[in-house]
Amino acid sequence: MSGSGEKISGTTKTPADFLKSIRGRPVVVKLNSGVDYRGILACLDGYMNIAMEQTEEYVNGQLKNKYGDAFIRGNNVLYISTVKRTLADGA
Amino acid sequence: MFRSEWDPFRVCDLLRFIGTETLGEVYTMSSEEDATVREPLDLIRLSLDERIYVKLRSDRELRGKLHAFDQHLNMILGDVEEVITTVEIDDETYEEIVRTTKRNIQFLFVRGDGVILVSPPLRAP
Amino acid sequence: MLFFSYFKDLVGQEVTVELKNDLAIRGTLHSVDQYLNIKLENTRVVDQDKYPHMLSVRNCFIRGSVVRYVQLPPDGVDVDLLHDAARREARGG
Repeated sequence: MSGSGEKISGTTKTPADFLKSIRGRPVVVKLNSGVDYRGILACLDGYMNIAMEQTEEYVNGQLKNKYGDAFIRGNNVLYISTVKRTLADGA
Repeated sequence: MFRSEWDPFRVCDLLRFIGTETLGEVYTMSSEEDATVREPLDLIRLSLDERIYVKLRSDRELRGKLHAFDQHLNMILGDVEEVITTVEIDDETYEEIVRTTKRNIQFLFVRGDGVILVSPPLRAP
Repeated sequence: MLFFSYFKDLVGQEVTVELKNDLAIRGTLHSVDQYLNIKLENTRVVDQDKYPHMLSVRNCFIRGSVVRYVQLPPDGVDVDLLHDAARREARGG
């Protein structure tokens, strides 16, 4: 799932560098509630507020919703992980 | 353009990626509408006066027209439909029974700390 | 600042404040501060059967952080004014 986040801008050194390097890439965002959001990361800010495109919402691994654009409030974010493809589970 | 569609996300990112800051500024100043999404809150700003979907804590969802917001995601919505989802366990079969309760509110202030996700309407191509 | 200013203008009007513990209180907005703490007067709990212990409460102070919603009076919402204020807020904030 992760581990490929260092290819775009050379070596990723700090969390901030990582966050800068993953814009425009497919990501999984996991919230504290356990819900996953898969989509293209459009941008993020210092609060870890996130804007995503082509977002899919997975609850207990099951696709529950799709959003064209989605804003996620940063306080809910547990982690952001890069992925190779958005549609790992088909759909 | 590299793409047939006008896509502010990508153009913006491209400029950032190249690292031409001056170019980036020229780009911003020349776009009067400022339809760029350079930070996540821009997505909300572009949804002013549009119907949006809001996912809140404690299994609540809202759909309504966005009239105002601030950086905390405090909002005023109009013509709001609230959906509350509750899950009960049947005493005998232990089956999960999912119930939704709906209600409508004409104007509603929503405190931002309960917001999980905001989704604007699909933008016209 | 946007919502602080907005609620200040709303003082004297009837609102329903819904708290995160599901208690809903209707009353006249007496005052508000920068944290969006709220003072209500002539209050009544919307679901009195469920919260009988609140029957005698006539006014109250509500800490801003426990508020989930405030139901606003329809004539207390100037939509165009709000749009402009929100755009200004987005630029400045």
